[in-house]
Amino acid sequence: MKRRTAVLTAGALTGAVALTGCSASGAGPQRAELSVSASYMPQPVSADMAAGFLTITNKGGAGDELTSVSSDVAGQVTMHSTTGGAMTEKSSFAIPAHGRLVFRSGGNHLMFEGLKRAPKQGQKVTLRLGFAASGPLTVEMPVRATTYNPSTGH
Amino acid sequence: MRKKTFTAAVLVAAATLTLSACGNGDDTASPVTVVSDGSGAHKAATVLDQPFTKPDLALTDTHGKTYDLRKETKGHPTLVYFGYTHCPDICPTTMSNIAVAKKSLPQAEQNDLRVVFVTTDPGRDTPAELGKWLKGIDPRFIGLTGDFAKIKAGARSLGISVEPTTKDKNGKLVSVHGTQVVAFSPRTDAGYVLYGEDTTVDDYTKDLPKLVRGAKP
Repeated sequence: MKRRTAVLTAGALTGAVALTGCSASGAGPQRAELSVSASYMPQPVSADMAAGFLTITNKGGAGDELTSVSSDVAGQVTMHSTTGGAMTEKSSFAIPAHGRLVFRSGGNHLMFEGLKRAPKQGQKVTLRLGFAASGPLTVEMPVRATTYNPSTGH
Repeated sequence: MRKKTFTAAVLVAAATLTLSACGNGDDTASPVTVVSDGSGAHKAATVLDQPFTKPDLALTDTHGKTYDLRKETKGHPTLVYFGYTHCPDICPTTMSNIAVAKKSLPQAEQNDLRVVFVTTDPGRDTPAELGKWLKGIDPRFIGLTGDFAKIKAGARSLGISVEPTTKDKNGKLVSVHGTQVVAFSPRTDAGYVLYGEDTTVDDYTKDLPKLVRGAKP
């Protein structure tokens, strides 16, 4: 209940931003306005680990950083970037003002380790995202088919 | 070839960001249309002018037996991928995409096809671990493990660069997977088509009927 109020407030603020942001004066609000979309977890092939993807959009005039991720299904969730087949664990990811932070297959990804149960297609897992400046966000992440492709939707 | 496509994708992404930024104040410029433009021209397969010779690779399969890649896959359409099981993203996706696409083939062709997963992390991927993992994807897939130097040389002969598992600053083991699936022809036994890691189930479903005949996709 408490959480829902916070989200509504964020929504209202975003609306206000749309009215005042990007105007000729160029004076954007000096804070991040974060929202999460396109989240999913491909059903893992074993109960050892899973990946997760999502997009964090920042409509605000200040940047922020994703600094922590936790989940009800995993002992630990870590953040990784991927370059040429090698992944590197990162302690934070920048979310630019008026920009996006994208976790997508083949690029940045969330890694769920120490799974308490094997997530199955059709279920949801709960994520809690922590930020350097903004308050935490809770995400209900759907579990999709192992072969799910967000660009085709199946 | 692959790199060129990737660069183009980055440019499209950059263009999208530019559009969605507040610069021009034009709300009607929808970045979504820009993104969908790229997908129409997408072609998964890269057909090689100079095919690769199948690597001379004898490793251990998931039953603990020696598996000689050239001998066992001779005359069979064969897909080879280098990856590891402690890989949350691309390795299971790549293998699962192939597994799902394979089901669209007639049974005789499914039996003919060899899909070989070679681990780049032999320290953790024992025959038993590999077998357990592949069972969750397709029990008929072949998993190979063994000496890393051999694996690396085999990968290198296919233009695939892999590195040994290392420890990162937190003491966690980090492994490296290949970024390509190599398709070998049943007619020539040469590796003549490459698939990048963004290849979808639909791409494989479309191409497998040609690959099992050794035809160009």
